[in-house]
Amino acid sequence: MNRCPEIITEYMHEYLDGEILPEHKNILTVHLKFCADCRQHFQELEKSIALVKSISHVQAPTDFTQKVLMNLPKEKKKVSVKR
Amino acid sequence: MDEFVKSRIKQVRKGDQNAFGEIVELYKDKVFQLCFRMLGNSHEAEDISQEAFIRAYINIERYNIDRKFSTWLYRIATNLCIDRIRKKKPDYYLDAEVAGTEGLTLYSQIPASQLAPDEEVSKIELQEIIQNEILKLPEKYRAVIVLKYIEELPLLEISKILDLPIGTVKTRIHRGREALRKQLRHI
Repeated sequence: MNRCPEIITEYMHEYLDGEILPEHKNILTVHLKFCADCRQHFQELEKSIALVKSISHVQAPTDFTQKVLMNLPKEKKKVSVKR
Repeated sequence: MDEFVKSRIKQVRKGDQNAFGEIVELYKDKVFQLCFRMLGNSHEAEDISQEAFIRAYINIERYNIDRKFSTWLYRIATNLCIDRIRKKKPDYYLDAEVAGTEGLTLYSQIPASQLAPDEEVSKIELQEIIQNEILKLPEKYRAVIVLKYIEELPLLEISKILDLPIGTVKTRIHRGREALRKQLRHI
């Protein structure tokens, strides 16, 4: 890995951003076939993204909207008077 | 969606609070989730997301109706989260992660490679570990990672929310991904 050109890591990120040029993708694909260290690096990147995406989505508490509405200023100009 | 939201906002500007209620209903989960993943604590997340909607209401005249409403709203919420993170920074890493996640901080500080190989990590524990690793990111990386991978927003929208050039957003995402790779590789 240390001896590999840094550009390979950049291509990995271009790929992960979904913005890789076909020729860069070609270079990356070939290099990953030959270099186990870079392959591992790339797999670890993909895995960490998958893990982050996997955390289940949370929802706002049920009374959330009601609470917001209760705390809105009645008339915008009176905020400072009321509080 | 955009047309509907814009028509509601015109009503809000006329003083219709019920119309604002519809807006809150539409976006509450997204905004709460953003705050929860940024702050790692549901009480704080509720506080800050409530605050974000109230500020949006108070400042609704300043919203440019030709732009996407969610971008403006996420921007308010993200800025509030970042402010909150900065304010609590001195003791943040010592205290905040322990609250409500007993043992997790201690547990997650042990390099995963030292865990017994047969250790079963339950789904909920795994989610807590991942959340905790997100919280370890400096806020500038945390914000882009949450917006990109939790809220699943395009780079262009993230750059508008954070008011940063798209190149800067990309660099931060790259560094955030590398940091997460190092933190999560052994899980």
